[in-house]
Amino acid sequence: MGPQILPANATLTQRLASAFRAIHWRNTVTMTILIIGALLMLAPFMWTFSTSLRPPAEGFRLPPSFLPTEFETLRDGPIPFLPMYWNSFLVAAITTIGVVLTSSMAAFAFSRLRFPASNLLFYLLLLGLMVPPALVLIPLFFVMAQLGLMDTIWSLVLPGLANPLAVFMMREFMKSQPREYEESAFVDGASYWTIFWRISLPQMGPPIAALSIIVFTTSWNNFLLPLVFIRSFESMTLPVGILSLFGSYGPQQLSVILAAVSLAVLPLLVVFLVAQRFIVESIAGTGVKK
Amino acid sequence: MATLEKREARAGYAFILPAYTLYLAFLLLPLIAALGLSFVQMDRLNWEIDFVGFENFYWIFTDPRFWTTFRNTFLFISMAVIGNVGMGLIIALMLDTKIPKYLLYFLRLAYFLPVLVSLAFVSFIWKFLYSTDLGIINYYLRGLGFENVPWLTSSSMAMISVVIVDVWKNMGFFIIIFLAALQGVPKNLLEAAAIDDASTWAILTRIKLPFIAPVILFCVTYATIGGLQVFDSIKIMTDGGPGDATRSVVMYMVSEAFGIGDLGTGAASALTLLIAITAVIAIQMFLSRRVGAGGAR
Repeated sequence: MGPQILPANATLTQRLASAFRAIHWRNTVTMTILIIGALLMLAPFMWTFSTSLRPPAEGFRLPPSFLPTEFETLRDGPIPFLPMYWNSFLVAAITTIGVVLTSSMAAFAFSRLRFPASNLLFYLLLLGLMVPPALVLIPLFFVMAQLGLMDTIWSLVLPGLANPLAVFMMREFMKSQPREYEESAFVDGASYWTIFWRISLPQMGPPIAALSIIVFTTSWNNFLLPLVFIRSFESMTLPVGILSLFGSYGPQQLSVILAAVSLAVLPLLVVFLVAQRFIVESIAGTGVKK
Repeated sequence: MATLEKREARAGYAFILPAYTLYLAFLLLPLIAALGLSFVQMDRLNWEIDFVGFENFYWIFTDPRFWTTFRNTFLFISMAVIGNVGMGLIIALMLDTKIPKYLLYFLRLAYFLPVLVSLAFVSFIWKFLYSTDLGIINYYLRGLGFENVPWLTSSSMAMISVVIVDVWKNMGFFIIIFLAALQGVPKNLLEAAAIDDASTWAILTRIKLPFIAPVILFCVTYATIGGLQVFDSIKIMTDGGPGDATRSVVMYMVSEAFGIGDLGTGAASALTLLIAITAVIAIQMFLSRRVGAGGAR
């Protein structure tokens, strides 16, 4: 008995009834274990959010405040939390736009255009997939010092833009796309840029969405690079920023730190809930080629 | 039509130029520079470079702390790979049964959520959860009548605690990969087995596991390479302590290069990582030929 296909306009009761019928009671034990496991997985998050929203010690206040005082402490405290939030967003956004644009351009060339040494250049690019980020940290330190970019957000953006995995992903996808439209546009005399911008790129909505999410979260979460390259609060991003919050508030003001962590996690939660399907499919694709 | 070919070639180079320039400047050339740096001694104040041959390697290989960090890293990897791939596989097999759609959506969300959130952020959370006297885990353990567990403060427990966080954080990634692989197991094989009244155990060991063996190998390799680079979680939760009980190779590298300021030995220790990663990939390629054309990949 396979899963039933409900009409699109099925009522909630019908849906619930169908879900109930779909339960195979032999699997109840499995499901119970899975649900307990899932609650354990979620427990640290639930504890974080609830602690950061814990009512302030002084109880009711007049005038009433809708945001808990922890958030006010973060906003007005000695460590500029909101500018750090903005820095994190800026770094992640610039990196994402840059990677999506440059990698889909390169993917267009590697999958559609013939030019000497293209295979060699592509394999040389794949070599970069093997390099652990920690390895290039020391030379990058020199590059940034030479360019005078130490302690600026550009020292985080530029290394993030070098992303061979993105070129590889986009090329794999473009190769699987039909090329008839591009060929007929070429016959009509369109330039390569027009073909790329008007025909190839618009076809790549889903992979661009998946790539953007991966690049954005990776950048948002980056810890090692800012730990080494950033010194001042003005250019600091959230992961290292929270480490210094930890230093200045300590475990006595637990809820302030957890409020900061909650706020830092929030955009990732939103992205995940909106785009769960894209993320899951793109990750499933890395291990299993169909 | 030579001009047309030339035009296409010119366009090809123009389109890869931005991505390639960035790749060369911030990945490939720094990699080559790292190779070079590991053979020099450098003064960070006046940028003087001395070629010292293998002295940096000699220095780290005779430094007992380096071997401690390597041993720690391998201990971490062996536990983390078993936890991540083993638990991931078991949960994926459990999820690959008949589960109502809405429940499956919730379960997938719960198991996958930690993957997306920064290791740095969740490490802060776990640091509080693990706290010996004020931590919530010990609070419940006390409620059950147990003693306080020194999660991060005893050298015998700290590594296990760090591994638990790693498994909690990364297991979902492997679950998703295994689920996709299990969905590729041919339905006719499973139906034939059901008609023959094969036991669940036989279906698992004779059909499912052999079919996804290449994927399991990929996951073990992936988890090993990730484990070799472990840094964020340990840095935040224990900072390598207590003593050096949880100090990893990347932590050694960062403290040599940016703490002590000896970039040469830092680069040399980073290079041992690359060699280890290359070895892991070589072993994977060798094994994947023997695992053979089982199915996916």
